[in-house]
Amino acid sequence: MVIACATVIEEMLPFLPDDVPYETLEFGLHLRPNDLRESLQRKIEQARQRADVLLLGYGLCSMAVVGLKATGVTLVIPRTDDCIGIFLGSCAAYRAQIKQEPGTYYLTKGWIEVGDSPFEEHQRLVKKYGEAKAERMTRLVLKNYKRLGFINTGQSQIERYRDYANKAAERFGLYFEEIQGSSALIRKMVFGPWNEEFVVVPPGHTVRFEDFALSVCDQEQV
Amino acid sequence: MSKELVNAIADMEEKQALDLASELLAKKTDPMLILDDCRSAMEIVGQRYEAGTYFLPELLLAGEMLTEITAIVKPEMAKGQQIQRHGKVLIGTVKGDIHDIGKNIVTFMLDASGFEVKDLGVDVPAEKFVEAIREFQPQVVGLSGFLTLAFDAMKDTIGAIQAAGLRDGIKIMVGGGPVSEEVRNYTGADAYGKDAMAGVTLARQWVGVK
Repeated sequence: MVIACATVIEEMLPFLPDDVPYETLEFGLHLRPNDLRESLQRKIEQARQRADVLLLGYGLCSMAVVGLKATGVTLVIPRTDDCIGIFLGSCAAYRAQIKQEPGTYYLTKGWIEVGDSPFEEHQRLVKKYGEAKAERMTRLVLKNYKRLGFINTGQSQIERYRDYANKAAERFGLYFEEIQGSSALIRKMVFGPWNEEFVVVPPGHTVRFEDFALSVCDQEQV
Repeated sequence: MSKELVNAIADMEEKQALDLASELLAKKTDPMLILDDCRSAMEIVGQRYEAGTYFLPELLLAGEMLTEITAIVKPEMAKGQQIQRHGKVLIGTVKGDIHDIGKNIVTFMLDASGFEVKDLGVDVPAEKFVEAIREFQPQVVGLSGFLTLAFDAMKDTIGAIQAAGLRDGIKIMVGGGPVSEEVRNYTGADAYGKDAMAGVTLARQWVGVK
């Protein structure tokens, strides 16, 4: 069984066999790691009736997965900082992108759809504070960002989303770059092998921060 | 206390807040009182953020107002005699991370609490911290990061400080969204702060201010 973030499940579905059930949690939880951890734990407790192995479509996600108890199930979690590593196919690919340009705001089709980005929030700000103040605020949010990295995960209707990302970049003075996504990590997650790129937590154990040991991703050559 | 100033900041009225701060200064209000108002306003902004009525853009604009008001107020403080600095703090967001709202708030709070703070900005390489420690000679170093990938950069930075033979003379605190005791332990820092006030408390303890 799979429990995944609303933005990650989209990328998993094309690979998920029909008989594997899945549930999702809202994207907004990533901003509240403690709530995310609680929600995940509840889902794990419920899932134990239905499955022996639970694939979590999450990364370390601001430490939200640390402390999760694998009650009655084996947990499999990609060993990556967050979903950007999942979309790029490995945590090493993610860290390579960070090295290239730390000031990158990432967008995928899924994120554009949930509408949780400074570009969508700008509309809310305009309504609440008017054009000038909204402009000031959104520019502050994006102050340290230079690049808008549009991750192409090969989804359908990609042109529409690329177009959206391109326009958002131009509107707020970021340079646009399309980054090729990869389904490598998702495919390994669904079909195995669960190699060193995954944290596998046996029943009765707890997810620990040490399990993630992400520094290895900095050393790998991409 | 100026209720108007507190409200102007808390309600995102930037121009009004700056005008009020200037007026108060012109009326010879104690600069420290103006900074106290800023701190009170930040508390309200923080509460609204927790309550879900404010989001990141509001936090950032409030932070920006603090910086601007501090810039107006500081020259007046320098004229007075009350400047007595507790000690020096070097602060920055570590390499690979560009998030700085938390760091900026800590910087403001430390400054307002009587520390001399040098802020190295964002995406700061370990070597730059080492170099700045040599020049600025702080008692306390604050490493900030919001992404989990900052943990490795924090660890590397502390390693570089150690390798340069500078670790013994200083106390290092780490902070930022997901930083916890596990992370503190991983990075080799002396302590972590769960919020801005905790950072100030640590710095005060370390330099022996009650």
